[in-house]
Amino acid sequence: MSNLGRIVGPIAVIAALALAGAAQAQTAPGTQQQLIQQQQQRRVEQPLNNAPVWKEVRSGRPQFTSIPGRETNVLIQSSGQTWRALRDGPITQYGGWLLVIVVLAIAGFYFVRGQIKLHGAPTGRMIERFGGFDRVAHWSTAITFCVMAVTGLIILFGKLVLLPVIGYTLFAWLAALSKNLHNFVGPLFILSLLATIVAFVRDNLPQAADLKWIATAGGMFGGREVPSGRFNAGEKGWFWIGVVILGIAMSVTGLIMLFPNFDQTRATMQLANIVHGIGAALFVALGLGHIYMGTLGVQGAYQAMRTGYVDETWAKEHHQLWHDDIKSGKIQAKTEEGALAQMQRQH
Amino acid sequence: MARMKFLCDAERCIACNGCTTACKNENEVPWGVNRRRVVTVNDGVPGAEKSISVACMHCSDAPCMAVCPVDCFYHTEEGVVLHDKDLCIGCGYCFYACPFGAPQFPQAGAFGLRGKMDKCTFCAGGPEPDGSEAEFEKYGRNRLAEGKLPLCAEMCATKALLAGDGDVIANIYRERVTVRGKGSEVWGWATAYGQPKGGQKPAPQGAKS
Repeated sequence: MSNLGRIVGPIAVIAALALAGAAQAQTAPGTQQQLIQQQQQRRVEQPLNNAPVWKEVRSGRPQFTSIPGRETNVLIQSSGQTWRALRDGPITQYGGWLLVIVVLAIAGFYFVRGQIKLHGAPTGRMIERFGGFDRVAHWSTAITFCVMAVTGLIILFGKLVLLPVIGYTLFAWLAALSKNLHNFVGPLFILSLLATIVAFVRDNLPQAADLKWIATAGGMFGGREVPSGRFNAGEKGWFWIGVVILGIAMSVTGLIMLFPNFDQTRATMQLANIVHGIGAALFVALGLGHIYMGTLGVQGAYQAMRTGYVDETWAKEHHQLWHDDIKSGKIQAKTEEGALAQMQRQH
Repeated sequence: MARMKFLCDAERCIACNGCTTACKNENEVPWGVNRRRVVTVNDGVPGAEKSISVACMHCSDAPCMAVCPVDCFYHTEEGVVLHDKDLCIGCGYCFYACPFGAPQFPQAGAFGLRGKMDKCTFCAGGPEPDGSEAEFEKYGRNRLAEGKLPLCAEMCATKALLAGDGDVIANIYRERVTVRGKGSEVWGWATAYGQPKGGQKPAPQGAKS
């Protein structure tokens, strides 16, 4: 069983876990009532043959115990072994390699493509791209995301990567700190995430222009940058797949594990942990891409989220449709010129 | 070196919970934690009721050890699975993984915040020096170091629960089965000791579940 994760493809195993309940019901030797009747019969016909009792035990169904506590009435649970095989197998292995590959790919992209710089000269006329609420929501999510990512990575990979280097005492201290930070920053991340979704959902709704962007990967690998609205299809992909789907999946599964005092069963927490592990690997991988594009990757992108303002040239080159809408007055946006603009550019 | 194991004889266990109580008292187990418990299958059904005492089985390929993020578990030379509470971070993963529900967590704060994990030590203490005050406070009595066996089995009124060298207790059980003529299931052995490693003997013939 411990080799399950390596023998069977990970997707098949995940499916198996999801269907475990249904499959068990189908292959189970019988209902509790049937097994009781078999046992009673056997006691008469073949005394000391307790096979039906052992089948009942293996079913993992709750029995009776006078000891209080969660699932103390279950003698043996088999799903723990499946959880172990998935966590120590594909999630650790594929998740770990995914992150290594993503970091290398980003580094490679940077060395080949370099920073995407402005082509035209800055005009000095600044347009407000992110309001106060946008920025507070974004940066609270960004900071808490980084804390969650780093502490989560320590909890999953620290034993393999850090422990051999820094030793048991120091690593246990670091892991305890990581666990507590993960647990207490988690709820802050959830609140920030919800604020971010509220702030950015409107301008992330799909548009016709997104299709063209997707077809040419936005000109990221050469060619002309495809005109886009306030957010291009790449940013929208990050918003919907990363922030909304993975963010909410992380929040829900995280809360299930964070509050073990609601008597949820081990099977529920195991499933939550599996989803959390797979989702987190993808979330961090996408997050690395977003962080790269928002800092090193695109000139002016970091200043935009820091000060809230972008130069008119930047708007025209990266988000032409948004720029045109502001120029034509279709979108109301604050603009700054002169000294203030000068100051903001220096940030 | 002997390989320590537990064996519970379902034909003999009368669900008195004497083992649970003996363990709690001997080891001064934390509030809210029971290192051993008796589970009754088909409770109250005539002709189908069987009771089994269960605790940490000190598995050969221990799932708790495999999933622990800080690697705080270790096998003693006698095959007992112990853990270091100074390293434990209370994440609960051993509780997810264990087939027997052995790891328990004293509540350390609001919302079910977990304290340091506590489980059966086969009355073998922890990493501190044998018989020290620090060892007793964290893990309970180190009876093995005193040349004694776990108190749960020693106190068992019907000798349903056996603890000790796996070969010795398997022989005792085999004699019982020979006298009875049937019923050789050794509960939990295939799960706990099923994958032999390092020259350990596999579970006795007829082991189930």
